[in-house]
Amino acid sequence: MSGGWQHEDSDPFHAARCRSAPVTLAVPLSLPTPAPAPELGTAPAPAGRIPGSKAMWVGIFCEITEFALLFAVFFVARAHHPEAFHNGPEQLSLLAGTGYTLMLLTSGWCVARALHAMRRGQRGACVRWMVAGFVFGLGYPAIKIFELQRNFALGLDGSAGVFIVSYYYLTFTHLVHVFWGLLGMLWVIARTGLGAYTVEEHSGLEAFACYWHVTDMIWLMIFPLFYLLG
Amino acid sequence: MSPERKIDLAWLMLVLLSVGGAGIGSADGAGLGVAVVVSLVMAVKLRLVCTYFLELHEAHPRIRRAVLAFCHGMPILVILTTAFGDTLSSLTGALIG
Repeated sequence: MSGGWQHEDSDPFHAARCRSAPVTLAVPLSLPTPAPAPELGTAPAPAGRIPGSKAMWVGIFCEITEFALLFAVFFVARAHHPEAFHNGPEQLSLLAGTGYTLMLLTSGWCVARALHAMRRGQRGACVRWMVAGFVFGLGYPAIKIFELQRNFALGLDGSAGVFIVSYYYLTFTHLVHVFWGLLGMLWVIARTGLGAYTVEEHSGLEAFACYWHVTDMIWLMIFPLFYLLG
Repeated sequence: MSPERKIDLAWLMLVLLSVGGAGIGSADGAGLGVAVVVSLVMAVKLRLVCTYFLELHEAHPRIRRAVLAFCHGMPILVILTTAFGDTLSSLTGALIG
């Protein structure tokens, strides 16, 4: 969330006026009419802003780079072992994979609604949406426990072949990022409840939302690779 | 339509596409055709998240371009590596040993 006001030091028109305007009493004093304040929650933000914070986007691009490398390894391994990857999805639980997807998408939806509630100044609704997002987010590790029990019962451990090893590498790395996200979500819920965010300033909440949505996006890439295509 | 309603509809579309995608996965068949369909579904889902959840259209152009390149690149790579798996295998053979 950012306001529509620009600081005078960064306004080139203001600087130009200061340099060229003669200082004389003959100049009629007239204050410029300020632009009308944007209606909260409905006006588009100025183009080119950084959602959340720069630091969070550095972290997000590190995450994207990490997964881009892991995806490259996946594609090379798949090219070298087409049979193993062709038969791989049959070994995994498609129900669990779909469950992860629905949990993360629903959690992301709740976080997006929480951000909009904050933009409208509805702090209570924001906390409730965030708590709902956390509960759905917890569904991901909960399903993971059941899936791992199933996999190990079927002998799908680290020695079960290149497909399963690739699967564990990518999904465990993603699980770590989900854990960071869940911890971050608890922090943001607490700060929202304590009134740390306002309609004007809630960049921390927005930064978290960006991280959570990118983590969600990465799962949307992992899911078809392992559960649908192989 | 309010922004909240757009988010709700985007979520509904994402759920439907995910369940539909699972249907594609459970169907018997493999190859380039399935890879193309799965990649298209993936691309639509990523675009929905980028637009309605991440609000990427409001972000700085460099952020927008980088994230969109990642999101568009993955479905394209899925199709290319399915179509040209043998070529990729021979190109990377020296690395794997």
